[in-house]
Amino acid sequence: METVTVAIADMDAGRRTKLEQSLQGGEGITVLTDIMAPGDNAPTDGEFQDYESGSMEEIVAKIAQLKPRILFMNLDQSIIGDFALLDALHRVCPETLVVLLTDRTAQDEQIIQALAYGARGCLSHEADPCYFLKAVHVIDRGEIWVTRKMLSKIMDKVLH
Amino acid sequence: MILLASSSQDNLSRWEQGIRGLAPIFCSTNLDSLRGELVRIKPVILLLDLDLPKLDGPNGILGLMKLNPETRVIILSGALSDEIEWSLFRTGVRGCCKSDIESEQLQNVVQAVQQGELWIRRTLSWHLLNELVMITQEKNKIKQAVGELLANLTRREYEIATLVGNGESNKQIARRLDITERTVKAHLTEVFRKLDVADRLKLALIVKGSMPLHGSTRLGH
Repeated sequence: METVTVAIADMDAGRRTKLEQSLQGGEGITVLTDIMAPGDNAPTDGEFQDYESGSMEEIVAKIAQLKPRILFMNLDQSIIGDFALLDALHRVCPETLVVLLTDRTAQDEQIIQALAYGARGCLSHEADPCYFLKAVHVIDRGEIWVTRKMLSKIMDKVLH
Repeated sequence: MILLASSSQDNLSRWEQGIRGLAPIFCSTNLDSLRGELVRIKPVILLLDLDLPKLDGPNGILGLMKLNPETRVIILSGALSDEIEWSLFRTGVRGCCKSDIESEQLQNVVQAVQQGELWIRRTLSWHLLNELVMITQEKNKIKQAVGELLANLTRREYEIATLVGNGESNKQIARRLDITERTVKAHLTEVFRKLDVADRLKLALIVKGSMPLHGSTRLGH
């Protein structure tokens, strides 16, 4: 089985480590653990909140260089600058598939917009670790990971 | 209420068994009866056999849905290609599954659709998302092109174009901006010329970003 490379762009170090640990146990998954390391052209904690276009370009460049198959990213990060980061990733690194990490404050409309800008799925930070592993493999084989209810809302958008 | 439609008695009894207890069940065995029942009982869910005689595929389904737009349609059929199944979803059906589906699974499908979910295969959901991405890209292109063309307007022309977009009449605009109606008309003539549109309805649609200027040929600006 070919391994799927996964990177996590969550600025919350605690959550990032937890997710890394969950994924590292998964069969056929390789986690790139240091993609947000300070001093490595990536923004440090807190810097991401209001990154300028320069740092966004650095993130895109870093992802383009590492080429993870799957990139977990906070929904909050993705919506900054009218989904500019997602849009850029979709254009520059089409081989990297973005999965959104959401919390209880996430609004469906924001998620749908992020999906419209190229994200291939969304999962709650609080989801059972087994779902992260499943999502990685499902998205890797070209499918998407969203709830049936969300699919229904997307269909409404597409039809109307 | 749930309406089942198939010319096969076997299908009807199996489906009925699967969804018994969810809601009162009605059955139709032909298209005429189905049309009548859709209007009469206004079912929440319609389980429709794609092989129902004279149904006429997606077109026929669209016609049925017009009879009662509130009814959520679930198609049951034999194996379908992705293309055909996707065309069914494009008509607005909320679920597709095999007509020989296990009773228990059929209950899951109906309950999911009742709760507002979409019962679609994962491989097809990829098509759905791609379509959403394409629509968004197209809308953004239109928005950008419209923005660039609107930037050619003077501040006053832009202001008047925006008010037309909000549905205001020349009289209302004149009053709001404290100018004469004749001046409004003069500005609008210039706006129409610059944007190459013939009437205020088209202008309003353009300002609202819901209409491209002369199709995609102007999108490259």
